[in-house]
Amino acid sequence: MAVRELSLTVPRGAVYGLLGPNGAGKTTTIRMLLGILEPDSGTIRVLGLPHRDRGVTDRIGYLPEERGLYKKMQVRRVLRFLAALKGVPAREADARITRWMERLELRTPERDWGLAKVDELSRGMQQKVQFIGTLLHEPELVILDEPFSGLDPINAQALIDIIVELKRQGRTVLFSTHLMESAERLCDAVCIIAHGEKVLDGGVAEVKAKHAGRFVALVIADGADRAEPVLRDRTLVKHAGDSNRTLEVELAPGADPQRLLQRLVESGARIARFELVQPSLHRIFLDTVGATGVEEGVTGHG
Amino acid sequence: MAKLWAVIRREYMERVRSKWFLIATIFGPVLFGLLLVLPPLLAIRTKASAALSDIRILDATGTDLGARIAHAIPRTPAMAVPEVIRVSPDSLTAAESLATHAVVRGDVGGYLVLDAHTLTGDSARYAGRNASSLSDMQDLTDVTRRQVLLARLLRAHVDSAAAAGLADTRLKFVSERLSERGRGGSGMLNAFAGMGIALLLYMSIILYGQTVLRSVIEEKNTRVAEVVVASVSTDTLLAGKVLGVGAVGITQQVLWLASGYLMARARAPILAAFGAHADTLALPPVSPGALAALLFFFLLGFIFYSALFAAVGAMVSNEQDAQQAATPIILMIIAPMLFLQTILLNPSSRTAQVLSWLPFSAPIIMPLRMVVTTVSWTEVALTVAGVLAACAAAVWVAARIYRVGLLMYGKRPSLGEVARWVRAA
Repeated sequence: MAVRELSLTVPRGAVYGLLGPNGAGKTTTIRMLLGILEPDSGTIRVLGLPHRDRGVTDRIGYLPEERGLYKKMQVRRVLRFLAALKGVPAREADARITRWMERLELRTPERDWGLAKVDELSRGMQQKVQFIGTLLHEPELVILDEPFSGLDPINAQALIDIIVELKRQGRTVLFSTHLMESAERLCDAVCIIAHGEKVLDGGVAEVKAKHAGRFVALVIADGADRAEPVLRDRTLVKHAGDSNRTLEVELAPGADPQRLLQRLVESGARIARFELVQPSLHRIFLDTVGATGVEEGVTGHG
Repeated sequence: MAKLWAVIRREYMERVRSKWFLIATIFGPVLFGLLLVLPPLLAIRTKASAALSDIRILDATGTDLGARIAHAIPRTPAMAVPEVIRVSPDSLTAAESLATHAVVRGDVGGYLVLDAHTLTGDSARYAGRNASSLSDMQDLTDVTRRQVLLARLLRAHVDSAAAAGLADTRLKFVSERLSERGRGGSGMLNAFAGMGIALLLYMSIILYGQTVLRSVIEEKNTRVAEVVVASVSTDTLLAGKVLGVGAVGITQQVLWLASGYLMARARAPILAAFGAHADTLALPPVSPGALAALLFFFLLGFIFYSALFAAVGAMVSNEQDAQQAATPIILMIIAPMLFLQTILLNPSSRTAQVLSWLPFSAPIIMPLRMVVTTVSWTEVALTVAGVLAACAAAVWVAARIYRVGLLMYGKRPSLGEVARWVRAA
């Protein structure tokens, strides 16, 4: 079973992140939202309607994690087909295709890639075509499964721009990712799931505030070895994450930051920075999901 | 409905636009045209080099029968009259063994023996390299029979001019099929038409059934399936695929039949242009009703088999696995073809009847039987009902396998797992 009793609410008009390590059940959750899979029990309402209601799927745009298009088909015909599946009239679809292709530089005065076959396009271009296919019917809810995987920095930025623009137009964007940095920058609200269960959810600011005051950014200018025993004191420090120059220190439950500072000063180390900070989503993610929930995929400092 | 239409249109347009469709659609009629025009053209050439003028006639009748036959054998002016050796009945055996050596050495193609039994109208013998050539033997028999008749008439003191006229009996035998529904065409022509129809159905069902299989695998492999099923139900997708590909098949068949008909009509002028004589080619007596039945049975057979092919496509993840998994289905299509000759020889036999009823072979065998023999309308109606039921069952099972299998990747499922999919979906 990939997902167990998951209950979440996505606010309209928000950018919502579904976070979790690989195998947490993100794709399964999304497929259930889309009616591709049926939950064994429970109800799903999308845009205020039962999710399998006629017309609901036409108001959702979906970009699956495993991306692909008909290889031997002309790009413009693929897009027309995807638009027709969502009930967009052919004439309207053509105008939108042209607009999007020009915007994403698939149609320039020199070359119109719309006339090429899909497999003549580079991988990056195929991904752009797939984004266009997701958005052609101007969906109210856009669901993107791991949209940043496999994107080069330029396409990733283009995608971020599009997500921001969609939000400005009042559309709801739900995306799954295991990359905390993009989630932190983009999301209004998040839900973290692991092992098919919800770990926490809520607005990003709210989630961070809940964990605030427990983290200290610490920079030691000199005498780090002398500070070591203090940082290893489990009555004071739960965890000290070493990110090269800045240490991200999580206080032990009930520990007073003031006391920690005092002990550090007494140890003789020179303190360059001691600041109570809001934790990164990455930190919260690691803390809440725990090392056991992380199978793989959480790479780098998010 | 609009979505179903979008799926159908994509399947249809992408295939009709492809180079392969163009090549197959043009190549089919060209092949058919060659079949119609080439044999008569080749026949002109082969007649001119016929082995019949290259034979030796051993005449032990003591009459000029041998010489008469030699002159009556068809040949072009450039060819020599066959050699005639008159022998006494006693030395016939020796002459025969000499002639045998001559044939073995390759000096002559064969030898004809005329003896006392020939003059009485009982028998003549021929030995030669071309003894298995039906047309040569037919010609030789005809000539010999006429000349023997002439000789016997003359011996009976019939006036020689009258005898020649009487003996020159070139009876052209026309056979025609007669049934309770009236007369229609020659027996041979019907058999050919029946075989052609069976082959056409067999080829189209296998060709387009596998097209559905490949189409499913393509959507699975390119992962485009997930985008599509987020917009339409798997049932709609499956139906659109089957109908779209089926429409391509019907388009091709209609084009083939139409161009075949036109070419058959243009055959005489074409042959005339090459200086060859063409018998007026009687078209197989296929009525518009039979044509409609043909297309209808194609549709039934195609739906039955393509549903099964689609299920196989959903079960596997690549073409190699698909070839293996599709083998049982292909065997089901091939099985009736193995009985084709039996059925053509005796279209009312029990084997033929049973094969034309069973849903997996009926779409191929029933139209064949309808052309070569008379099948009662109740029998046809019952068969159609049976095939329709089988189609419904196949589509039902296939839709369930398709629904679960389409987004499954990796190892090929076991039969038990597939059965669970069918129950669970």
